Amino acid sequence: MQVTMTTASDNAVIPAADAAEESTNKQPIATGIEGLDFVLQGGLPAGRPTLLRGAAGTGKTVIALTFLCHGIAAGETAVFVTFDEAPEALLGHAEGFGFPARRYLAEGRLRILDMRPDRNEVQVGETIELTAILARIGFALDSLGATRLVLDAVDGMETGYADLPSLRGELTHVFDWIRDRAVTCLITVGEYADFSTRYGLEDYIADCVIALTQEVSNRVMTRVLRVVKRRGAAHGSNENPFLLDRGGIFLVPVTGSVLSAKVSDARLSTGISGLDAMLGGQGPYRGSITLLSGQAGTGKTSIACSFARAACEAGLSVLYISFEESLDELIRNQRSIGIDLDRYHRTDGRSVDGLGALLLQPVRAVELGLEEHLMRVIRSVRQHRPALVILDPVSGLAGRSRDPVAKEMLLRLLYLIKEEGVTTVATELLGDDSAGVSHLDVSSIIDVWIKLRRHENDGEMNRLITVVKARGLPTSDQVKEFRMSTEGLRIVDPYLGESGIVYGTARMARQAEDEETIDQLHIELERAHQLRAELSEIQAANERLARAEHEVKTADLDRQVAQIERRLAAIERTRAAIGRGRA
Amino acid sequence: MTKHLLRLYIAGRTPAADRAVHNLEQLAVEVATADLVIQIEVIDILERPQLAEDERILATPVVIKQLPPPIRRVVGDLSEREKVLIGLDLRVD
Repeated sequence: MQVTMTTASDNAVIPAADAAEESTNKQPIATGIEGLDFVLQGGLPAGRPTLLRGAAGTGKTVIALTFLCHGIAAGETAVFVTFDEAPEALLGHAEGFGFPARRYLAEGRLRILDMRPDRNEVQVGETIELTAILARIGFALDSLGATRLVLDAVDGMETGYADLPSLRGELTHVFDWIRDRAVTCLITVGEYADFSTRYGLEDYIADCVIALTQEVSNRVMTRVLRVVKRRGAAHGSNENPFLLDRGGIFLVPVTGSVLSAKVSDARLSTGISGLDAMLGGQGPYRGSITLLSGQAGTGKTSIACSFARAACEAGLSVLYISFEESLDELIRNQRSIGIDLDRYHRTDGRSVDGLGALLLQPVRAVELGLEEHLMRVIRSVRQHRPALVILDPVSGLAGRSRDPVAKEMLLRLLYLIKEEGVTTVATELLGDDSAGVSHLDVSSIIDVWIKLRRHENDGEMNRLITVVKARGLPTSDQVKEFRMSTEGLRIVDPYLGESGIVYGTARMARQAEDEETIDQLHIELERAHQLRAELSEIQAANERLARAEHEVKTADLDRQVAQIERRLAAIERTRAAIGRGRA
Repeated sequence: MTKHLLRLYIAGRTPAADRAVHNLEQLAVEVATADLVIQIEVIDILERPQLAEDERILATPVVIKQLPPPIRRVVGDLSEREKVLIGLDLRVD
């Protein structure tokens, strides 16, 4: 470098060392992006530069604009220095995200410095100085008394002034000056050619480094934010997926889930008295998570809709996120079992006539990345604050990939909803080959797990319902039958007969069959009793007969004995008479 | 007679700024004729930062030909005479 810039330090109000010392005691500066501020444990380091790097389209400018406009909305003033996009385009962006940037500009609370390199400028000689950048920024900061500064796409300088040997030293000087200036500053750079590393932005200049990346998996793109470095403060270094759309930046921290959900003793009816009875009489607890698992056609959606209706009737609002059926399909299909969702359906989410509002949000599961789904659901929950969220089916999210990330994401989603104190009813579609085994592995967080299955017998299909578990509720252990008809949903006790438990028409057939058997048996029993009674009588008669015979025989023999004795005596008498006669 | 207005923006009296002032003045003397009047204004943006803002100046020294249109800009210490003449579109016949 041929030139020293003696003027640079004129703008530096506080020497670097002092600034560093001071910033450690200062409160972080909130970016206004809730999730990001959480990850950063408050926000960007006060009075220090933060580096935000990421490839084109990762959302750097949106984060930068949000950071500035959040401050301005809170009464601060801010300077945005653009090295890439035209000021007009930036104003358009900001307004697209709902920030009144043009008004801020007119009110003198925002200033945009256009520092796009002029491509028509001819370079002559090898020396250029970038003091003008510092002079302009310093001037803007001073005249506005600005507390927030953004240098957007600063790597644009390198393409604008390529091949200049003095550029490197000059840019380094710019960054040193920014650092010394002690303003809370966000510097964004692209990932191109390691700009941030080469200029020491990453290691030396920035106190905080945030990296944005895009990941494409299964043809679905996910945006990820990671805090790479945060000097002098703790930070989460996880990859945090985030959402970037017309609603701005929305980030749900990976580690943000803490089980601080309020515990409620209040209950929420399932809308099916028989099912409520299976769950201890009143249905699950408010704020709990209920999972309805079952194969196709077992009535998961119908039970979920019954939940929705019961909540709406109780004046509670419901957010129904349907991953499979469209809005019209859902309304039509549920009408066939007597649930008129249209009665509660409100696009504005407002309650009418004491009925809770039902907000139906159909989402095509394949359209978006898992993370994006998660964040959209959470955003809707925070926006509408429903009492009940229905995710139908949740397997549409996590089930389609065997990816453990999907399961983790689902867990996070359920945790987050739970943390909002909102009751969740999720349905899970089980494959016909699943043998009733859930693939979600989320049972640890499920409070109430209801399993539905098909029971095919004698050319008939019956639906069976079991409460697998229900934390803190006295539950029925019995597999019951679940019937769906135009009159609604009904739980029917099964028939316990001679050869096991039967359901459905078979239940009635078996019942009739069994009744016949009983009648038959009764007859047989009577007959047996009769026989038994008769048998005793015969025995008695025989005994009487035997006794009579015995008596007759005894008398007869007695007579014989007497007769023989009489004859013997007669003979004895005769002999005696003869003897006397001789003598 | 054509009048050329050249504004040279510098950021403090740095060696590069001094070289640019010197080079531009010398060039003006060389190309000036009875028909070609060259007026040079040297502006230090450290003293007048609003002007740097108005002209969207990033790098200095930079010379901007305000008149006659179209506007031309040449950045650097102006050490290569021919390139400066072409860059500023100063016709020398």
